[in-house]
Amino acid sequence: MMVLKRKIGQSFHLGDNIRITIVDVQNGRHVRFGIEAPAEVPVHRMEIYELIQNENKAASNGNALAWFNGNMEMRDE
Amino acid sequence: MNKVWKQSGPYEEGAFPFNFPQGMAGFPEANNFGVTYSGRGDIACMQSMDHPEAAFLVTPWDEDRLGNAPSLTQDQASCLALEPNRFPFWMLVLNPFADNAWVTANLRAPVAINMEARIGVQCIQTDPGLELRYHWIPQPGQAC
Repeated sequence: MMVLKRKIGQSFHLGDNIRITIVDVQNGRHVRFGIEAPAEVPVHRMEIYELIQNENKAASNGNALAWFNGNMEMRDE
Repeated sequence: MNKVWKQSGPYEEGAFPFNFPQGMAGFPEANNFGVTYSGRGDIACMQSMDHPEAAFLVTPWDEDRLGNAPSLTQDQASCLALEPNRFPFWMLVLNPFADNAWVTANLRAPVAINMEARIGVQCIQTDPGLELRYHWIPQPGQAC
Protein backbone atom coordinates (compact mmCIF):
# COMPACT_ATOMS: atom_id res chain seq x y z
CA MET A 1 0.00 0.00 0.00
CA MET A 2 1.27 3.42 -0.92
CA VAL A 3 1.22 5.85 2.00
CA LEU A 4 1.24 9.61 1.40
CA LYS A 5 1.55 12.40 3.93
CA ARG A 6 -0.66 15.43 3.17
CA LYS A 7 -1.68 18.59 5.05
CA ILE A 8 -5.16 20.07 5.23
CA GLY A 9 -5.97 21.68 1.89
CA GLN A 10 -3.46 19.56 -0.02
CA SER A 11 -4.53 17.04 -2.61
CA PHE A 12 -3.41 14.02 -4.50
CA HIS A 13 -4.48 12.55 -7.81
CA LEU A 14 -5.56 9.11 -8.86
CA GLY A 15 -4.84 9.08 -12.57
CA ASP A 16 -5.83 12.12 -14.59
CA ASN A 17 -9.42 12.47 -13.52
CA ILE A 18 -9.69 11.88 -9.80
CA ARG A 19 -8.50 14.39 -7.23
CA ILE A 20 -8.74 13.87 -3.50
CA THR A 21 -8.29 16.79 -1.12
CA ILE A 22 -7.85 16.69 2.64
CA VAL A 23 -10.56 19.05 3.84
CA ASP A 24 -10.31 18.73 7.58
CA VAL A 25 -9.00 16.62 10.43
CA GLN A 26 -11.27 16.56 13.45
CA ASN A 27 -9.95 15.74 16.92
CA GLY A 28 -6.98 14.06 15.31
CA ARG A 29 -9.21 11.09 14.54
CA HIS A 30 -11.61 11.86 11.72
CA VAL A 31 -10.42 12.94 8.30
CA ARG A 32 -12.76 14.66 5.85
CA PHE A 33 -11.94 14.17 2.19
CA GLY A 34 -13.15 16.09 -0.81
CA ILE A 35 -13.35 13.83 -3.84
CA GLU A 36 -13.58 15.10 -7.39
CA ALA A 37 -14.21 12.32 -9.86
CA PRO A 38 -16.09 11.81 -13.14
CA ALA A 39 -19.76 10.94 -12.72
CA GLU A 40 -19.16 7.44 -14.01
CA VAL A 41 -16.75 6.68 -11.16
CA PRO A 42 -18.74 5.48 -8.15
CA VAL A 43 -17.54 6.75 -4.77
CA HIS A 44 -18.84 5.03 -1.65
CA ARG A 45 -17.79 4.32 1.89
CA MET A 46 -15.98 0.99 1.83
CA GLU A 47 -18.17 -0.84 4.33
CA ILE A 48 -21.35 0.04 2.43
CA TYR A 49 -19.88 -0.78 -0.95
CA GLU A 50 -18.62 -4.15 0.26
CA LEU A 51 -22.06 -4.91 1.65
CA ILE A 52 -23.65 -4.26 -1.74
CA GLN A 53 -20.88 -6.11 -3.59
CA ASN A 54 -21.48 -9.18 -1.47
CA GLU A 55 -25.25 -8.99 -1.87
CA ASN A 56 -24.95 -8.60 -5.65
CA LYS A 57 -22.71 -11.65 -5.79
CA ALA A 58 -25.14 -13.62 -3.65
CA ALA A 59 -28.06 -12.51 -5.82
CA SER A 60 -26.29 -13.32 -9.06
CA ASN A 61 -24.68 -16.54 -7.90
CA GLY A 62 -24.21 -17.62 -11.53
CA ASN A 63 -27.71 -19.06 -11.49
CA ALA A 64 -30.13 -16.16 -11.72
CA LEU A 65 -30.99 -16.86 -15.35
CA ALA A 66 -31.56 -20.54 -14.59
CA TRP A 67 -33.81 -19.55 -11.68
CA PHE A 68 -35.71 -17.19 -13.97
CA ASN A 69 -36.16 -19.81 -16.67
CA GLY A 70 -37.17 -22.44 -14.15
CA ASN A 71 -39.60 -20.42 -12.08
CA MET A 72 -41.23 -17.58 -13.92
CA GLU A 73 -43.58 -19.70 -16.01
CA MET A 74 -44.64 -21.49 -12.83
CA ARG A 75 -45.42 -18.21 -11.05
CA ASP A 76 -47.64 -16.98 -13.84
CA GLU A 77 -49.75 -20.07 -14.14
CA MET B 1 -47.38 -4.64 -11.37
CA ASN B 2 -47.61 -6.14 -14.79
CA LYS B 3 -49.06 -2.83 -15.89
CA VAL B 4 -45.85 -1.10 -14.81
CA TRP B 5 -43.78 -3.27 -17.10
CA LYS B 6 -46.08 -2.73 -20.03
CA GLN B 7 -46.17 1.02 -19.52
CA SER B 8 -42.41 1.06 -19.54
CA GLY B 9 -42.47 -0.36 -23.04
CA PRO B 10 -39.12 -1.92 -23.86
CA TYR B 11 -39.58 -5.12 -21.88
CA GLU B 12 -42.40 -6.29 -24.08
CA GLU B 13 -40.14 -6.99 -26.98
CA GLY B 14 -37.68 -9.53 -25.58
CA ALA B 15 -34.05 -8.82 -24.76
CA PHE B 16 -32.63 -5.28 -24.94
CA PRO B 17 -29.13 -3.97 -24.26
CA PHE B 18 -28.60 -1.43 -21.53
CA ASN B 19 -25.30 0.29 -20.75
CA PHE B 20 -24.16 0.45 -17.13
CA PRO B 21 -21.13 2.78 -17.18
CA GLN B 22 -20.26 1.89 -13.57
CA GLY B 23 -21.13 -1.77 -13.90
CA MET B 24 -22.86 -3.29 -10.90
CA ALA B 25 -21.21 -3.34 -7.46
CA GLY B 26 -18.94 -6.38 -7.48
CA PHE B 27 -19.05 -6.53 -11.27
CA PRO B 28 -17.43 -3.26 -12.37
CA GLU B 29 -16.56 -4.56 -15.84
CA ALA B 30 -20.06 -5.77 -16.61
CA ASN B 31 -21.19 -2.76 -18.59
CA ASN B 32 -23.64 -4.06 -21.15
CA PHE B 33 -26.73 -5.90 -20.02
CA GLY B 34 -29.46 -7.62 -21.91
CA VAL B 35 -32.85 -7.85 -20.25
CA THR B 36 -34.98 -10.93 -20.74
CA TYR B 37 -38.63 -10.69 -19.96
CA SER B 38 -41.05 -13.49 -20.64
CA GLY B 39 -43.91 -11.09 -21.29
CA ARG B 40 -45.71 -12.24 -18.17
CA GLY B 41 -45.34 -11.50 -14.48
CA ASP B 42 -43.28 -8.77 -12.88
CA ILE B 43 -39.75 -10.19 -12.82
CA ALA B 44 -37.15 -9.84 -15.55
CA CYS B 45 -33.60 -11.17 -15.79
CA MET B 46 -30.78 -8.75 -16.52
CA GLN B 47 -27.59 -10.48 -17.71
CA SER B 48 -24.23 -8.99 -18.62
CA MET B 49 -23.20 -9.51 -22.22
CA ASP B 50 -19.55 -8.98 -21.22
CA HIS B 51 -19.54 -11.16 -18.12
CA PRO B 52 -22.46 -13.62 -18.27
CA GLU B 53 -21.88 -14.68 -14.67
CA ALA B 54 -23.32 -11.29 -13.72
CA ALA B 55 -27.04 -11.95 -13.99
CA PHE B 56 -29.71 -10.42 -11.79
CA LEU B 57 -33.41 -10.79 -11.29
CA VAL B 58 -35.05 -7.39 -11.26
CA THR B 59 -38.52 -6.08 -10.63
CA PRO B 60 -40.00 -2.58 -10.75
CA TRP B 61 -39.97 -0.41 -7.64
CA ASP B 62 -43.44 -0.71 -6.10
CA GLU B 63 -44.62 2.61 -4.67
CA ASP B 64 -47.64 0.99 -3.04
CA ARG B 65 -45.36 -1.14 -0.89
CA LEU B 66 -42.27 1.01 -0.54
CA GLY B 67 -43.35 4.61 -0.97
CA ASN B 68 -41.64 6.97 -3.33
CA ALA B 69 -38.60 5.82 -5.24
CA PRO B 70 -35.27 7.30 -4.13
CA SER B 71 -33.96 10.59 -5.42
CA LEU B 72 -30.97 10.69 -7.71
CA THR B 73 -27.80 12.50 -6.76
CA GLN B 74 -26.46 14.97 -9.26
CA ASP B 75 -23.70 12.55 -10.25
CA GLN B 76 -26.16 9.70 -10.73
CA ALA B 77 -28.42 11.86 -12.91
CA SER B 78 -25.40 12.94 -14.90
CA CYS B 79 -24.23 9.37 -15.33
CA LEU B 80 -27.70 8.42 -16.55
CA ALA B 81 -27.65 11.30 -19.05
CA LEU B 82 -31.06 12.14 -17.71
CA GLU B 83 -32.56 15.35 -19.07
CA PRO B 84 -33.93 17.89 -16.56
CA ASN B 85 -37.39 17.07 -15.21
CA ARG B 86 -37.18 13.49 -16.46
CA PHE B 87 -37.32 10.58 -14.05
CA PRO B 88 -35.63 7.19 -14.23
CA PHE B 89 -37.40 3.86 -14.16
CA TRP B 90 -36.49 2.27 -10.83
CA MET B 91 -35.92 -1.43 -10.35
CA LEU B 92 -35.01 -3.60 -7.41
CA VAL B 93 -32.43 -6.36 -7.52
CA LEU B 94 -33.93 -9.59 -6.23
CA ASN B 95 -32.09 -12.38 -4.48
CA PRO B 96 -33.76 -15.79 -4.82
CA PHE B 97 -30.87 -17.63 -3.17
CA ALA B 98 -30.60 -16.07 0.30
CA ASP B 99 -33.76 -17.34 1.94
CA ASN B 100 -35.51 -20.67 1.54
CA ALA B 101 -38.95 -19.16 1.97
CA TRP B 102 -38.62 -15.76 0.36
CA VAL B 103 -37.23 -14.06 -2.68
CA THR B 104 -35.66 -10.95 -1.17
CA ALA B 105 -35.26 -7.45 -2.60
CA ASN B 106 -32.28 -5.20 -2.01
CA LEU B 107 -33.66 -1.81 -0.97
CA ARG B 108 -30.16 -0.48 -0.27
CA ALA B 109 -29.09 -0.52 -3.91
CA PRO B 110 -31.89 -0.15 -6.44
CA VAL B 111 -31.18 0.32 -10.11
CA ALA B 112 -32.18 3.48 -11.98
CA ILE B 113 -32.66 3.25 -15.72
CA ASN B 114 -32.90 5.96 -18.31
CA MET B 115 -35.18 4.09 -20.67
CA GLU B 116 -34.70 6.45 -23.58
CA ALA B 117 -30.90 6.45 -23.45
CA ARG B 118 -30.75 2.81 -22.27
CA ILE B 119 -28.35 3.69 -19.47
CA GLY B 120 -28.50 2.19 -15.99
CA VAL B 121 -26.86 2.91 -12.64
CA GLN B 122 -27.03 0.97 -9.40
CA CYS B 123 -27.72 3.69 -6.83
CA ILE B 124 -26.37 2.75 -3.41
CA GLN B 125 -28.39 4.38 -0.64
CA THR B 126 -26.73 5.56 2.55
CA ASP B 127 -29.80 5.13 4.78
CA PRO B 128 -28.89 2.22 7.08
CA GLY B 129 -32.60 1.64 7.78
CA LEU B 130 -33.19 0.27 4.29
CA GLU B 131 -33.29 -3.50 4.19
CA LEU B 132 -30.72 -5.46 2.26
CA ARG B 133 -33.00 -8.51 2.15
CA TYR B 134 -36.57 -7.28 2.20
CA HIS B 135 -39.07 -10.13 1.91
CA TRP B 136 -40.48 -9.51 -1.55
CA ILE B 137 -42.39 -12.59 -2.66
CA PRO B 138 -42.58 -16.13 -1.36
CA GLN B 139 -40.34 -18.59 -3.14
CA PRO B 140 -42.23 -20.24 -5.99
CA GLY B 141 -43.83 -23.38 -4.67
CA GLN B 142 -44.01 -22.02 -1.13
CA ALA B 143 -47.42 -21.62 0.48
CA CYS B 144 -48.31 -17.94 1.02
